[in-house]
Amino acid sequence: MTARSVSWTDPRELRALLDRVTGDKPGQRQTAVRPMSTHTPARAPFPREARNAFPHVTAPAPAAGAAAIPAQPAPAKPAAPALAALPVIESDNPSDRLDALLLWTMDNHRCSGAFIADDNGLTLAAHGVSDAHVSIVGPLLSSLHGIRTVPGIDATSGALWLGAQMMSWVEVKTESGGFCMGILADEALHPRVLDRAKEALQLTVRGL
Amino acid sequence: MDTKILEQAVQDLRSILRDGLIATDIWDRSAGLSLAGFNQQPVAVALFTRITDELDTSLRDSNFPPLARYYLLDMEGNHTVVLINHGNLLQGMLVDNKRANLGILISVAIPRMIEAVSRAKAAR
Repeated sequence: MTARSVSWTDPRELRALLDRVTGDKPGQRQTAVRPMSTHTPARAPFPREARNAFPHVTAPAPAAGAAAIPAQPAPAKPAAPALAALPVIESDNPSDRLDALLLWTMDNHRCSGAFIADDNGLTLAAHGVSDAHVSIVGPLLSSLHGIRTVPGIDATSGALWLGAQMMSWVEVKTESGGFCMGILADEALHPRVLDRAKEALQLTVRGL
Repeated sequence: MDTKILEQAVQDLRSILRDGLIATDIWDRSAGLSLAGFNQQPVAVALFTRITDELDTSLRDSNFPPLARYYLLDMEGNHTVVLINHGNLLQGMLVDNKRANLGILISVAIPRMIEAVSRAKAAR
């Protein structure tokens, strides 16, 4: 129903930008932002000729004992969350199937609400979510259309900060169109949990 | 045309929309003959054949894109009429929009009906 165009997204320009960032070292991912860590990374030496350009500037002497500070160990990665078993949905009735998925979602995730919508943002099933929140899905998926034209970018799940809560969402495509499940919680769901939610949605909407 | 497939599709529609579906008819556009339905409404068949023909002609005469799969009418008393264009067949549905979910109607019920009627038309 809505035209899927994002006028400011030029796929060729995006691809060129991505190539420029990743092109130098194939197989090795580079990021424009230095990863955060607890210790200061070693700096590249300041070139002597550049240092001579500022004769009045002297480097402060290192504090006594500074060298004795041991390197902090890297923080441990948070453990991956336990994944819920996929829902068992026996009914052939679409409404019952969607309600069962919603129940499974509410039972297995720490969330205040959840919904299933079509790709136009029309509610198929919802609990604890207003229609206005569900309608976000239409423009959200439309805006991702241009992004998905970039090779290698899937963009079928994610999280969106709504101002007071985080809406994590997954999308699956079927022959009769796209379906999206949204989960409202205080924070974004773990990627593995999102993957499991996507599997559950796929299982539910198959054959709808 | 296999009318058994049409009847089965109507049963399927009833199970999807449950008490949200008030009535439905699938009829031949030129003859006005109802081929399958639930709580069938002959007057509605005649009325919506005429409305659909008028709408189709008006759109074409105005150089607008022609009618595609369906149109909806929001009516008084929580009633929604859905008219599905199956080509030489038309289908009308009267839905209680407080009981039936619009998302289920548009994303599940209508695509299923279109697929089933197309299967019925192809069958001998």
